[in-house]
Amino acid sequence: MFKLNLKIALRNLWKNKTSSFINVIGLAIGLAACLMLLLYVSYEWNFDKQAKNSDNVYMAMTNVPGEGNKVAHTFNGSTTALGPLLKQNLPEAKYVTRMDYGKKSLIANGQNSFKKDSKFAEPDILKMYDYQFIAGDPKTALTNPLSVILTESTAKILFGTTDVLNKSVRYQDQENLNITGVIKDLPENSSNRFDFLMPWSFYEIVDASAKDLNWNNYSFVTMVSLNPDANIDLVNRKVEALVKANTPQNAQSQPHFLYQASKLHLFGKFENGKNIGGDIEQIYLFMGLAFGILLIACINFMNMATAKSEKRAKEVGIKKTIGANRSSLIFQFLTESMVLTLVAIIVAIALLEICLPSFNKLLNINLGITYFNAVSWIGILGIVLATGLIAGSYPAFYLSSFNPIQTLKRKISSSGFLKISLRQVLVVGQFCFAIILIISTLVIYRQIQYIKNKPVGFDVNALVEIPQEGELKTKFDLFKTEMLKSGAVTSMYQSSVSLSHRGRNFMDMKWDGMTKPENTVMFNQVATSYDFIKTNGIKLLQGRDFSKSFASDTSAVMVSASAVKVFGYKDPIGRNVMVFGSKAHIVGVFDDYVWDSPYKSNNPQIVYLTSGQTGTITMRLNAANSIQSNIETIAKISKAFNPAYPTEITFINSLYQEKYKAEKTLGILSNLFGGLAIFVSCLGLFGLVTYSAEQRTKEFGVRKVLGASLLNLMQLLSLSFIKMIVVSIVIAVPLSYYLMNKWLMNFEFRTEISWWIIPVAGFGTLLMALITVSLQAYKSAKANPVDALKYE
Amino acid sequence: MIKIENLEKVYKTEEIETTALNGINLHVKAGEFVSIMGPSGCGKSTLLNVMGLLDKPESGSYKFIDTELLTLNDKERSNFRKRNMGFVFQNFNLIDELTVFENIELPLIYNKVPAGERKKLVNEIIGRMNIVNRSGHFPQQLSGGQQQRVAVARALVTKPKLVLADEPTGNLDSTHGNEVMELLCELNETGTTIVMVTHSSHDASFSNRIINLKDGHVISEKINKGKTEELI
Repeated sequence: MFKLNLKIALRNLWKNKTSSFINVIGLAIGLAACLMLLLYVSYEWNFDKQAKNSDNVYMAMTNVPGEGNKVAHTFNGSTTALGPLLKQNLPEAKYVTRMDYGKKSLIANGQNSFKKDSKFAEPDILKMYDYQFIAGDPKTALTNPLSVILTESTAKILFGTTDVLNKSVRYQDQENLNITGVIKDLPENSSNRFDFLMPWSFYEIVDASAKDLNWNNYSFVTMVSLNPDANIDLVNRKVEALVKANTPQNAQSQPHFLYQASKLHLFGKFENGKNIGGDIEQIYLFMGLAFGILLIACINFMNMATAKSEKRAKEVGIKKTIGANRSSLIFQFLTESMVLTLVAIIVAIALLEICLPSFNKLLNINLGITYFNAVSWIGILGIVLATGLIAGSYPAFYLSSFNPIQTLKRKISSSGFLKISLRQVLVVGQFCFAIILIISTLVIYRQIQYIKNKPVGFDVNALVEIPQEGELKTKFDLFKTEMLKSGAVTSMYQSSVSLSHRGRNFMDMKWDGMTKPENTVMFNQVATSYDFIKTNGIKLLQGRDFSKSFASDTSAVMVSASAVKVFGYKDPIGRNVMVFGSKAHIVGVFDDYVWDSPYKSNNPQIVYLTSGQTGTITMRLNAANSIQSNIETIAKISKAFNPAYPTEITFINSLYQEKYKAEKTLGILSNLFGGLAIFVSCLGLFGLVTYSAEQRTKEFGVRKVLGASLLNLMQLLSLSFIKMIVVSIVIAVPLSYYLMNKWLMNFEFRTEISWWIIPVAGFGTLLMALITVSLQAYKSAKANPVDALKYE
Repeated sequence: MIKIENLEKVYKTEEIETTALNGINLHVKAGEFVSIMGPSGCGKSTLLNVMGLLDKPESGSYKFIDTELLTLNDKERSNFRKRNMGFVFQNFNLIDELTVFENIELPLIYNKVPAGERKKLVNEIIGRMNIVNRSGHFPQQLSGGQQQRVAVARALVTKPKLVLADEPTGNLDSTHGNEVMELLCELNETGTTIVMVTHSSHDASFSNRIINLKDGHVISEKINKGKTEELI
């Protein structure tokens, strides 16, 4: 029986090539899109979940107090003092490790040096994550301060082999470290990635201030692995009490709590100290998209199957008269949809393999199907079964319900009011989804453009930066003189942070006329040298840049316009403020510029003059020379100062491009899958028109003989479909308007939904549907009426 | 074998109520070949459908060897039908996607006959129907007469007690029509009961008894003497 049903299914597929093609291609596209998005979702979902006991690993979070007992900001930084306190006094804490955020540092094998991701951590990190050691002993690998663990690929880059135990590498051209371990490369979807790992005890040598257990510097990360049976609420109450008992309490004290580290990636948005979601919203959106497209393809299948019902009705009738019962027929039709889905999934996997490389490149990730993994096959099988069932269930129940007498006498007609309207409802639903996607895509695109076109406050194209390291830290003035002399740059400065940066926030500010005893507003700080404004070209509103002609400028500050607003100074130039307890006078006020997120207004900023805090050198290129020759000169001179370091020249505009990444991903995905959704919908429409035309061949013949024009016939065939599209537009437009308005509310800086988007989306869809329908309508209306009448 | 008493069937549409069967009484003995004739709309097809358990009457009784069939539910009707009845239609009603062999095999599959025996039975009947060299062909590749022979083969393969034929020669020319009628006669001679609806008095002349219907009533019944005598 099953064999026979399979035969009927395959022969049917072969016989109705148009509809099979539409069904298979539609479903394959739907399945491929679904698989692709699910791969992406699983990549994101498994972020930081590689460790066996990742559920027990927690991150120490810090709440920054704001106005009126509220939490202004929550972040994952903590002080050097928190870790030891928890380790000693929190019984539930199994392992505790402090680490730095990680940065790019120099590592050399004696001849060549490379910039690689470095990290410092306490030895407990090796118990928290199950790193796979290729060589070395995890128990002792981080015991000696002058030791280092390399990843497999770092070892290969440095030495060409992983057999490197007890060899020596040089860190930052300062210190020789002994290799005590080689581990397998870390997965890409981990926020704790590094190329080489060094002990915290070594960090305390590099940065002596880290040895001091303070509660002021939040530049570190503390991770805690709790016992499996620990109650996190109880633990967090203990943490709060411990911190309260051990630190001086004032308005600026920052309470800590532990948060599951693996959740931080997707549930990383906090409001008033409580989690309010995060990137998980995007994941939900993508899952919606994935299943939406698949559903559109399923609807195509249902529509085609019920449209073809006249053809299948006879078969149902015969089978029923010779003894088939309804369940065996339902089973047969489900077999058919399963066969079709199976064919489609093979095409889909092929499509996926073809498209994944460019998809990966587009999103800058590395996704792939793991063919030797039972879970992925179970997943694929599950999707096939679900798709086959969803696509096949309605046709199966519908077709198997036919009454044998009526079907055998060819009385079955699609005149059943309910059946027709269900098919119409499905088509309307499909196009609603497609139109919503078009409008969303347009709005997302407009929002990205709006943010991109919003001035950042200076000309990003004329500037480059290099990291200030090695000799450049101490010999900056000499470097500056030589650079200016070379003519490659017109001006330059050093600063503690890049123009584009995050964090570096502080609250230790006082100003005249402050109403509260303690400041609770977050300020951002930049320490710099002379020529700050001259180089970066940020708009100076009042006063002047730092200048060598004023010796008193060592205790001067420049402040942003929003800082002046916080101070409430009417005439700020010359007024005093207290920064970190020392008095400073304001010499200049500059316009706010974008240094962190371009989507919201940034904190007020204080810029002060000091030669001690190095970090980044920013340079304005000489427009008189070609960019290439400027870059070559910069590279040559900095290499002369720092022979051990590779030169890294970064264009500031590329740093600002990075800021649009999340929304760009969203834009790419919604464009891509929106387009696919429309394509698959039109494919379905094409199929329906084809069938409708086929059914009405005779009618068309008769009408033509009686004198109907080509246009008459095309109208006749197209009108009912066009009506459905119009209904979809009427439903989808207000819905998408509402949804996109809600999405835009997420942004402090946002565009309006322009009026033209709606007619563009509406007429665009209508036009595409019209072209699809007309193609087929023209073909059948043009056919010779004699052929049509002979047909039976 | 068949006792039909006071059978009534009414078709209702929004505007009109049509009485298709109006108190029909009909007895068919085992081994009989009965033709039902009458003008269009007299209810003959409805009667055949009721006898084939494809349609339900409003009232009356339909006994098949002492089993009352009108009280059965859908599943029981379907089971009874596949065990005891075979159908031959005017438009053949073969499944286009199945070959001749597979079409004939289908009722055996529904009757859960094991595969080996199915093959034997189908080959046997294909031989009898003289369509051996056609067994791998699809219905569209056959002539009308051949298609109807396949349909008859399919109706017979389960060895039903009753064969119901609805205008079996309606779509055939006279030569092929006669072939099919002869086939039905042969079948009848081996003991199968046949009830046939027909327009053609030529076809009816092959049967033992002719029943005339009009407006849902049996208006006359005629024993086909020549045929009966021939039988005797």
